[in-house]
Amino acid sequence: MRAIDHHAWSNRWRDWHPAEKLIPAGGLLILTLVLPPLSSGPLILAAMAWATVFGAGVPARALLHVLAAPAAFLLLSAPFLAISISFTDGFHWQWSPQGWRLALETITRALAAVSCLAFLTLTTPLTDLITLSRRLGIPAGLVELILLVYRLIFVFAERAMTGQQAQAARLGYARMDRSVRSLGWLAGTLFQRALHQARRMEIGLAARAYNGELRVLGSERALSWPRLSIGIVGVGLIGLNGAWLAHTLP
Amino acid sequence: MHIAEGFLPPVHAIAWTAIALPFVVVSAYRVNRLMREQPQVKLLLAASGAYAFILSALKLPSVTGSCSHATGTGLGAILFGPSVMALLGTIVLLFQALLLAHGGLTTLGANVFSMAIAGPWIAYAVFHGTRRLHAPLAVSVFLAATLGDWGTYLVTAGQLALAFPDPVSGIAGAVLKFASVFALTQVPLAIIEGLLTVIIVNLLHQNSREELDLLAFAPENSR
Repeated sequence: MRAIDHHAWSNRWRDWHPAEKLIPAGGLLILTLVLPPLSSGPLILAAMAWATVFGAGVPARALLHVLAAPAAFLLLSAPFLAISISFTDGFHWQWSPQGWRLALETITRALAAVSCLAFLTLTTPLTDLITLSRRLGIPAGLVELILLVYRLIFVFAERAMTGQQAQAARLGYARMDRSVRSLGWLAGTLFQRALHQARRMEIGLAARAYNGELRVLGSERALSWPRLSIGIVGVGLIGLNGAWLAHTLP
Repeated sequence: MHIAEGFLPPVHAIAWTAIALPFVVVSAYRVNRLMREQPQVKLLLAASGAYAFILSALKLPSVTGSCSHATGTGLGAILFGPSVMALLGTIVLLFQALLLAHGGLTTLGANVFSMAIAGPWIAYAVFHGTRRLHAPLAVSVFLAATLGDWGTYLVTAGQLALAFPDPVSGIAGAVLKFASVFALTQVPLAIIEGLLTVIIVNLLHQNSREELDLLAFAPENSR
């Protein structure tokens, strides 16, 4: 969590207008879903990895870390696409040839899609994306709520980590039963602290004439049309290429 | 169990988004109105949302060797009620996709449906159903959290089965496949989360009655 956020705030493309990154990444994400994955998936994966590592200057290790996040889910569920079972006379299972192809296609599509998500999250601070969502017609109050959640996550994460360290130092996680109890106490205490934090913010804000609106100074960035058009043209080229490959390959 | 980004075929991704959307919109509308009437609710909800995210990022004591996390579905449903959970859960899932790369944007609808709508409603129904039968608080909380988790994972298995039916035995066979492979990790995990939720609710019940009243959580006659 910290790694993604750290790179989002410190990469080379951080100061670009968020739409310049959201529109190409979102476009490619849609392409991963509509184009046949086996031909266009690797292309999209390569393009997004190139943009993340060589364009935005995010270390390749960070990218691999994000790409590995859904690995557990993929390893657990994709093989079962390749197995087919039947109960007509007793229980049978067998490898199915179409299933293999489906599993391979699904894994490729998922990896290509995750690379788009990785590019977006590793290059764009979340606050930029959330602020942009106001344009999509999400009420200002809800956008503020989401921004507040984002800021509090890091406050609470630090508390959770400190608490867990203190418990571990007192052998709170030495055995299974102790672990469950320690974790329950930690979570319960964190909740009390969270409510306490909310009340303190409420008092602090009330003293500053809070009437339901939180004003923060956002950074206004000019949208660069050249960059955006390069991005859109790139997505178009990848799309055409993918469609052509899908047409020519078996 | 988050469905990974890009895992669902486009038709299913769109369909689940369309199914989840009305629940989230109604929840957002209610919460937004509540926040305008009582501005301090915004801070309480923000703290709760951030808490739900942190709760889901805590590593559970592992049983099967895999790295596993709590869902917080049951606790959220008990504390805030399912209508608020639809919005809070969606925000948490969005942050999980964007900050942890767990789940994704195209599968957000499917994940919202299983974890922020179906799970909380099951947990809520179980909690209030068993309370009405005069079950002790700990039993109700345990059942709500455990069954909420199981419900969530069965819904996920169903979503995957609809998207990838078995070539021979169809959707039913696929449900069986996915449900049984997830059961390996999810059945013990849900029991641990049930125990965990009991400890949390007991602690809150002893130490912070006012806050619980504030959240309209009132276990009338305690144990």
